[in-house]
Amino acid sequence: MMRAAPSQEEVRRHNLGTLLRHIHLRGSASRAELAEGMGLNRSTIMALTSELTAAGVVREELPRDTPRRAGRPSLVVRPESTRVYVLAFDIGVDRLVAARVGLGGVILERREATRPRVPFDPDELVGALAAFTRQLVRRTDRDAVCVGAGAAFSGTVRRADGMIRYGPNLGAIDVSLGNALSRRLGLGLTVSIGNDANLGALAEHRRGIGAGCTDLIYLHGDVGIGGGIIVGGRLLDGVDGYGGEVGHMVVNPSGRRCACGSRGCLEAEIGEHALLANAGRTGAGRVGRDAVRAMVDAAARGDAAARDALHRAGDWLGLGVANLVNVFNPGMVIFGGTLRDIYLGSAAQVRSRLATSTLAAPRERVKLRTAELGDDTTLVGAAELAFSEVLDDPLEVLARLRTTAAGRLPDRSGSNA
Amino acid sequence: MSVTPVLDLRGVGKSFGPVQVLHDVALSAYAGEVTALVGDNGAGKSTLVKCLGGILPMDSGDYLFEGRRVRVNSPREAAELGIEIVHQDLALCENLDIVQNMFLGREWRSGLVLDEPAMEELAARTLTGLSVRTIKSVRQPVSSLSGGQRQSVAIARAMLWDSKVVVLDEPTAALGLAQTQQVLEVVRRLADKGRAVVLISHNMNDVFAVADRICAMFLGSTVAQVRASDVTHAQVVELITSGRGADGPSGVPARMNGVGRARRGDEAGPG
Repeated sequence: MMRAAPSQEEVRRHNLGTLLRHIHLRGSASRAELAEGMGLNRSTIMALTSELTAAGVVREELPRDTPRRAGRPSLVVRPESTRVYVLAFDIGVDRLVAARVGLGGVILERREATRPRVPFDPDELVGALAAFTRQLVRRTDRDAVCVGAGAAFSGTVRRADGMIRYGPNLGAIDVSLGNALSRRLGLGLTVSIGNDANLGALAEHRRGIGAGCTDLIYLHGDVGIGGGIIVGGRLLDGVDGYGGEVGHMVVNPSGRRCACGSRGCLEAEIGEHALLANAGRTGAGRVGRDAVRAMVDAAARGDAAARDALHRAGDWLGLGVANLVNVFNPGMVIFGGTLRDIYLGSAAQVRSRLATSTLAAPRERVKLRTAELGDDTTLVGAAELAFSEVLDDPLEVLARLRTTAAGRLPDRSGSNA
Repeated sequence: MSVTPVLDLRGVGKSFGPVQVLHDVALSAYAGEVTALVGDNGAGKSTLVKCLGGILPMDSGDYLFEGRRVRVNSPREAAELGIEIVHQDLALCENLDIVQNMFLGREWRSGLVLDEPAMEELAARTLTGLSVRTIKSVRQPVSSLSGGQRQSVAIARAMLWDSKVVVLDEPTAALGLAQTQQVLEVVRRLADKGRAVVLISHNMNDVFAVADRICAMFLGSTVAQVRASDVTHAQVVELITSGRGADGPSGVPARMNGVGRARRGDEAGPG
């Protein structure tokens, strides 16, 4: 069946979103560069940028440092990073991070707290994030507008409503976190929630080492092992958003019991508990990222038990990656969180396993890399999730937010006229 | 593969008096890739690097740069081609800051004075480009930097000059774990930004963490040039210690680049 041609209004809205996304992801660009990048003529670009400028999401300036050339220099379009921002939350097992992230992906301000390993209490969590949010929002400029909120959670999250279905390492089952958080923040925004590794994949794909790579797999090590799979530039997250749980891929059917009830999951073999137990490094205070890093460090210094545990983990990790390479033929596999340390410390085992357990063809071009965004991968992913609505339809979202916030924040829509 | 290596040495021989230290050595390095040069002590790695950097003349063999036959008779000529070598001692000046070190002897001028803002900006941009995040200011003196940070500055300096080939001699020796990891990531980014990187290392784990290709030397000759994704740790160790490829599951011998093939299977005699 033929689809009706898009209306002029739809085209305009689409172009506004595309232009803003370009500025958001690639940074400032001249009108000429935008025209070329988007395949539109300069007068269309000018019309679009003036609309976005009037809405206060970008500003246009003369270029700062280009050599003098004949003719009028093309204006540079810059994101209004301090005026247009989102709230991003990273809910890990051992830490909570809240940040204000400006358009263009700049982390403007952040709050961080360590989480003790106590049973999960949704009210307490929501309370802590709300307190961070009050501090972050209080310090914004008067004309700044919060255009979204997103959270990365280490567990399986239902896409439709942000319901946490399962978070074994946080002890969460069927918690309606998205709704609770949205209500408690009281900013008139829906808080979107995503699986931390899925969001990490998105972040590395858009802003990290995977930029320009359309098919990649991000593996995230926290207490457990998470994964995010990007195929053809899109996150592969399944019917309900639960996809990419590579940590529960069985690599050793007769192996260790996993918290999920299965046996020999990748997470059961190389997650924090297995790693530290194999190295004989359990005990009070020996938990979390620091304990894993200390173990990798001990292995490098010649501690035999730590080294054996690390090499064994590298072997299992290699087996897991080998399966993924055969199934998805990714261009890149990215190791983040504690898996960065584990990969760099056991690369010989990982790659030996890869050499022997994959088909030669899908292995040919796969690059193994560590996350470029470091410990902020999942946080940056949460911010990207939060930005998605405004990037889809900038003017509509801004107009709505400014109306609802009119009582609290001064409307500046007329100031550029 | 039909891609032309940036750097391609073939049949290199070198003797010191009656002692032949290199014979029939081959090394190819490709843009965007890390080529690890591995071998035991005395295998000839350092001599080979001196030859490719123009510090020592080669007695025989071909030196091809971007497919053209060249002669490199001095370090200056190597630098003019775009070959930078980061030696183990790094050759940084403790009393100078990062910018001064990176531009040492090649300072930019603006009229009569040095163009400090431009140099500072490029130094900072280069370090950022390599994702070096731990250095707070490019005006810090080098004496205040950790070993890993110094290594990063030396690598960034090598990157600054439109270099096409960067040779790193044991960049992670003498570093702690956190710094080693940072340097490995910097090495990887350097190649991902299009340089051909030659990494000399004794540490097999470091080699597997970043290398795309492995060139193994044994007693003065190249015994194998293989893709790192096609070999196991055990096979590379076998190449280094005995000069022979183990017949592992992925079959190193079948994948050999045809380099030094004559020597494999021979008893490993001195070169």
